[in-house]
Amino acid sequence: MRPAARSALPFKLLLQLSLRNVLRHKRRNGMLLSAILVAVAAVVVSSALVRGFQRDMLEAAVANLTGHVKILAPGYLDDPNVQQSFQLAEDWRPDLDDAALAGWAPRVRIPAAIMSERSTRGIQLVGIDPAREHISFIGNAALEGEPLSDTSDRRILVGRALAEQLETRLGRRLVIITQGADGRNREAGFRIAGLYDAEGTGLEKTYVFTGLKALQGLLDAEVVTEVSIRLRGEAAPLGLKAALKEFFTGLSVLDWQELEPNSAALFAVADMAIFIMFLIMMSALIFGLVNALATSVMERIRELGLLRTLGMRPGSVVVQVVLESSILMLAGVLAGIAIGALFLYWLADGIDLSRWAQGVEGIGLRGVLIPIPRLADMALIGAMSMALGLVASLYPARRAVKIKPLEALGR
Amino acid sequence: MAELALPAERRAAPAGRGLVLAIAGRNLWRNGRRTWLTAGGIAFAIALTVIGMALQHGGYSMQIDAGTSFMAGHLQVQRQDYLDQSRFEQTIGGITELVRRLEQQPGVQSVAPRVEASALVSGDERSFGAQVLGVDLERENRTVRFFSQVARGRPIAGGDEAVIGAALARNLELDLGGELVVLGSGKEGGVAALVLEVVGIFESGIADLDRAMVIAPIETVQQAFGLGDEAHSLTMRIEQAEESAQLAEALNPLLPEGAVARGWQQTLPELHQGIEMDRVSARFFYGLIMVVVTFSVVNTFIMTVFERIREFGMLRAIGMRPGRILWMVQIEAACLWVLGAALGLALSVSVVLLLGFYGIPLGGIEEMAANMFIPERLHPVLSASGLAIGPLLMLAGTQIAALIPSLRIRRLQTVAALRSE
Repeated sequence: MRPAARSALPFKLLLQLSLRNVLRHKRRNGMLLSAILVAVAAVVVSSALVRGFQRDMLEAAVANLTGHVKILAPGYLDDPNVQQSFQLAEDWRPDLDDAALAGWAPRVRIPAAIMSERSTRGIQLVGIDPAREHISFIGNAALEGEPLSDTSDRRILVGRALAEQLETRLGRRLVIITQGADGRNREAGFRIAGLYDAEGTGLEKTYVFTGLKALQGLLDAEVVTEVSIRLRGEAAPLGLKAALKEFFTGLSVLDWQELEPNSAALFAVADMAIFIMFLIMMSALIFGLVNALATSVMERIRELGLLRTLGMRPGSVVVQVVLESSILMLAGVLAGIAIGALFLYWLADGIDLSRWAQGVEGIGLRGVLIPIPRLADMALIGAMSMALGLVASLYPARRAVKIKPLEALGR
Repeated sequence: MAELALPAERRAAPAGRGLVLAIAGRNLWRNGRRTWLTAGGIAFAIALTVIGMALQHGGYSMQIDAGTSFMAGHLQVQRQDYLDQSRFEQTIGGITELVRRLEQQPGVQSVAPRVEASALVSGDERSFGAQVLGVDLERENRTVRFFSQVARGRPIAGGDEAVIGAALARNLELDLGGELVVLGSGKEGGVAALVLEVVGIFESGIADLDRAMVIAPIETVQQAFGLGDEAHSLTMRIEQAEESAQLAEALNPLLPEGAVARGWQQTLPELHQGIEMDRVSARFFYGLIMVVVTFSVVNTFIMTVFERIREFGMLRAIGMRPGRILWMVQIEAACLWVLGAALGLALSVSVVLLLGFYGIPLGGIEEMAANMFIPERLHPVLSASGLAIGPLLMLAGTQIAALIPSLRIRRLQTVAALRSE
């Protein structure tokens, strides 16, 4: 017989012994299983909710004219004006295949003052290519009136909240004052083509959109101040930033983490939160687990003593305890993930957060939180739980090894 | 049987309170490992909720303080139509008298009037849209912290002076001592023009403010924009931030027609609702922890009850009533809880006191914190409810956990129990 085959039989025996021990105390282990199940299911559900929260936050950060990656003149963030700009070839496109690229958009974005007969407001004037803006909120916003037809459209899209502040309406003309490429002020009238609704009035009060070419004409400059790139996945493909940096020599290539540091920080904290939740839940569990395993060992002092007398090695005793813990944990984890998944299926339409809607919009959420179950998260939770099961069996296993065969038999 | 001959009153009191307590104590003592592990679970759940609630309490006060004292204040008064439309002429009149009267109200610490005008501001060559804020600096400094800080230069003192945002200064190519031209429309629709000297530059780190805000003395702005003794808003600091909604309610009758007082819960809804959401999800989490721990307490009592079936059978045989035995198990559960609660409270109170003394550094956000006036350290705060809720819920959990397995004592067959192993 080969050595491997010889050791296989005792393992099967040990497995049988452990399984029998688990099944012998159905009520006690049933309670323990329930506890593992509740803890695992809770962590599975909350991690899916946290993932949903992260996606909403990212969406909000990225759709907010940011994009996953943005190309800017180096001084633009500090001093956003048309002099901090660059030229972009008509036929340029990011070097990415369609599977990874959702779209890109060139823009001119500059501060301006907008005036109606009644009021004056400071705004951000954005020249866009309407055909490319499906990647940002303005491409998908509900619109009263007409969208911009093309890059040469000289009309403007105004947020509803701003229109109310300016006391103006569809079809009216507004005067916009901004600075041309030569540093001198430009003043021009623009007719309102449409009023848009955005989530949260902050965007509506800030951005006014017009055609890219039309705005370039007003500023006397064939330039853009930014190119925004939106990807399909969450993370930028490796090397994309480097390739863009090489192509746009002398310009800043920034990803959304750099452009929206607050959202990026929240994003990272949420990752951490899943882990902390798991740790706390499992710490609550470990007391009960150690208790049950240790009791199971102490009940079998005579049995274990007998086995030791018959020549069972201490290592095998340890394996037995570890197996017992692992069987319990595995059953609890599987059931917990199943229950958690069922619960998530039930929650698939999302949790209505409308009671807190304003607050959640402030941190980048929508009114409804849709959980995102991920196999990788569940696998990680399962694996960490199994590891914890091992840790929990340490103390009971030590107790089991310490049993002295003769004393045990004498009891 | 001899027992039947005993007088009734002696049978009714077979075991005194002290005896029951002694039996409970002996049982807990007899299985030390199990007792300590179970009590440890209870202690863990209690410590977690007490520390968690103290952190929440301290964190919320910090957030409220940071949010309100930045610029918004605890309470704000505006005209309802100004809140809806923000039109320049929608002001509150008789402001000097109103401020004086509000400052005398109990619970109110300070009141600061503000004038808010949109205007085109220019340096030598360039122009931008900006918000011109007319403030009473002495009152503002007692109400919020924003206006007291300048990155360079000094705060406004009066007259034709202005403090502007750092990005605005860069964009206008203006430095300290520069001339800022403000053009806007006045209350009656006429042109409002004003030339201000830049005496200070602030850098809040909030792009919108740094890029588009001009701070000037309230009288100067009032005069230039054709306003009399009027303002767009009053910002107030009060003694009890948590009671801002009630105080707003109480102040409303004192305000002129059309004006409303609103607490920070309304002026900073994202702060209020963010806190509420956190509170709800934390409660949910505490609940789950307690359920998980309660399961293991049930387990402990399953063991306790089953290994003592013979003992219970014997007690039944000598005449103890099932209710009495159940009671005994409940006392045992209570003792276990006392042990766990003492451990949990001792642990959590010392942790909270220690953290409360030193504070928890909020790593990585120091720069943001300094700009937003958030203290760099979080100090957890103990409260009566925070100390009571966790332990009381765990008490209920423990008693119920002990009741579940011990219910079968009622169905105990005395003879079978005596014969069981």
